Amino acid sequence: MANNTFYIITLFALLAATSLTAQEAVPKNWDSEKIKGSQLIPYPSYTGNPYLTEKFVSGEIEFTDGTKIENLFLRYSTYRDEIIYFNSAISAQIIIDKISLKGFKLFTKEGANRIFRNQYYNGFLPGNRFFEVLNDGDIALLAYRTVVLQYCSVYNNEAGVLKNMEYQQNFNYYLYNSKKGYETIRIGKNSLLSKFDKSNQKLVKKLLRNNKIAIRDESGLIEAWKLIQINRIPTNF
Amino acid sequence: MKTKFFIVLLLFISLLGNAQQKENFGLYTDRDLYVSGETLLLKLFAPLNDQAGIVHIDLISCGGKTITGIILEITDHQANGAVYLPDSLSSGSYILRTSTRSDKLQTVREIYVANRFAGMPESNSVSRIGRATPVAETEMGNSPITGLEEHYKRREKVTASIHLADDLLAKTEGNVHVSVSKTAPGYNGGTFCISAKPTTDQLIEKDGIILEGVVTDLKTAAPFKNSVVMLSIPGTTPGFNYYITGDDGRFFFKLKKYYGKIPVVLQCYDKARTRLLKISLVDSESLRSGFPAFETSTFPTEARKEVAKNIEAVTIRKIFNQQEIITLPAPKPQADAYPFYGIPTNTVDPKLFIDLPDFNEISHELLPGVKFRTYNRIPTIEVLSASLHNYFNEPPLVLLDGIPIQDLNIIKNLGSKKIDKVEICLEERHFGDLSFAGVVAIFSPKADDSLVPESKDLIKLTIEAIQAQTVLNSPSEQLPSEPDLRQVLLWTPSLKPAQTITLNFRASDIKGVYKLVLRGKTKDGSLFFKEQSFEVN
Repeated sequence: MANNTFYIITLFALLAATSLTAQEAVPKNWDSEKIKGSQLIPYPSYTGNPYLTEKFVSGEIEFTDGTKIENLFLRYSTYRDEIIYFNSAISAQIIIDKISLKGFKLFTKEGANRIFRNQYYNGFLPGNRFFEVLNDGDIALLAYRTVVLQYCSVYNNEAGVLKNMEYQQNFNYYLYNSKKGYETIRIGKNSLLSKFDKSNQKLVKKLLRNNKIAIRDESGLIEAWKLIQINRIPTNF
Repeated sequence: MKTKFFIVLLLFISLLGNAQQKENFGLYTDRDLYVSGETLLLKLFAPLNDQAGIVHIDLISCGGKTITGIILEITDHQANGAVYLPDSLSSGSYILRTSTRSDKLQTVREIYVANRFAGMPESNSVSRIGRATPVAETEMGNSPITGLEEHYKRREKVTASIHLADDLLAKTEGNVHVSVSKTAPGYNGGTFCISAKPTTDQLIEKDGIILEGVVTDLKTAAPFKNSVVMLSIPGTTPGFNYYITGDDGRFFFKLKKYYGKIPVVLQCYDKARTRLLKISLVDSESLRSGFPAFETSTFPTEARKEVAKNIEAVTIRKIFNQQEIITLPAPKPQADAYPFYGIPTNTVDPKLFIDLPDFNEISHELLPGVKFRTYNRIPTIEVLSASLHNYFNEPPLVLLDGIPIQDLNIIKNLGSKKIDKVEICLEERHFGDLSFAGVVAIFSPKADDSLVPESKDLIKLTIEAIQAQTVLNSPSEQLPSEPDLRQVLLWTPSLKPAQTITLNFRASDIKGVYKLVLRGKTKDGSLFFKEQSFEVN
């Protein structure tokens, strides 16, 4: 009896094995979209940071056709408005072709998702730019994070070389609507109020006062804009 | 007790592995009897749980030889298409077979084709499918067809209505299919399901054909690991992809959403550039193995007479150049916004300059940052890095009509007249894990693969991709002097189900018994039909 049971078990085990394990290994993501780009040539070394983050951070990119690639090591260059990824297979830092991207996400250590969108900017120096989406909606609050190389007082770098330039942050903020375009906004209460009619300005002031929001920095501006969007206060933009 | 539990558990696991596919395709044709040179129309209902986005339909002789095949796109679990029956087909039974890479069950439809020139064979015996399971379908009794008379005159207008019962309407999945075509007295080609062996790689053709092949060492014939296989689709905006082989030397490419005939070039090279390789494609037919058993049977005498009439009708239609189907324009694949090798730094049209005899002269006179030289009859090419202001140590990617070129002798003799334009990228480019030290893309006026020779490591092929949509050519008015020899009076592959479906069509000049058929599929996967015959005399 014990022998019979053993044979039956073996028979079924064999049946199961043939039906469930007859799979040949084909690499995962074998047909995934390939990233196209060009080799990063290191930027000139000056004080300041030409990148948004100190190091490569985890992130994902989205192509214009909607396909996404996750788990990439990304770094956004605020100096050249480029997104760079580290290809570990060939140990290369590659500037992803901006034209191929719809946008990208950076996952910072703090656990925040920073979303960037590739949009056409029709103002001064028109062209496609990566805008960080600070608050999305009918009228989105966007930031164009850029760093400019400017002359400064002479200094010696770590290697003792005399330098007279540095990377300086120059962040610009915009209100954006797909039909109306871009409207520049600065950090400060007055700049925000100027986007509303007189009657609505009072409402905004009251809203900010009641919620104890002061627009002294970027987070204050974001908080204020979120609140305005929630309360649906119409802008003059 | 424990042993019993294990037995039951193992039985469950083994059954789970085998019982993944119970449903099969429903495959229907406009008729059962054909004449070579005609076009067969087909409708297909896919299993609701099938993940495949495309289905292969093959026309196979009763001897097992594949004559032709088409690939159809499955939309909402349905597909329809047309198969041209070559004039060279000999008279006999043929099968149409559906297959996907993952099917364990395939559907075959039996048809008879008579050769237009040789006619029917003298013998009455014919090979027919035997011992196969017919595809189950249910006739819907509670869905009457009204307005359809028993007899019509030739060219008379016919109006009929099909009334779908509420319960049927509620459980119908997707669209229904309606056709009116001539029947073959005494001959019914059936639809059967047969078992097949699915491919073992578990790849599903969701949105395009999968090309599969293997790279071997030219000397040892062993599968070659770490070879770079490149696929190019030549053209003005060339398509490109690559695959790096594993231990088994196999490679796969997916051709997404391509319609009609497309030229494809496949080539491979050793990553270390030390070994000579051979590339070969896996015959896609070998991936679709199912074939039913045939047995000898007698061909009905009435059907023989019918075939003789059909041959005459088809010949006259050919003389009057009456097209059976109209092929709708295929959706063009969305062209990439820019070439895969990047936005060129420079684009040069040699025809705008003085006529230069060869590429050496062209590079020297017209191409900034490109150094093409021939030393001891060996051509070399170098590209300048615009940012480093130095020539790259590695040779650039050289493309001829979008096809990567390893042997520079191919472009050596190209003069101004043979080149439309040259695009140059003076930077290190990356495509996935491939790196190119600059790019020189040459475009010839032909923009095809004709300038690139085939070799052991390069194969050129034309692929019949997804078939473009076809519709029945039913002229609204036929000239009185011109015979109307249509055997298919109506072919509506996708009709939105409604309580009352009204049909309008016109009888042709061909006398005989016709059948109006409605077919559909319910949400539980079962096939249903409703049919009614009428006579044209």
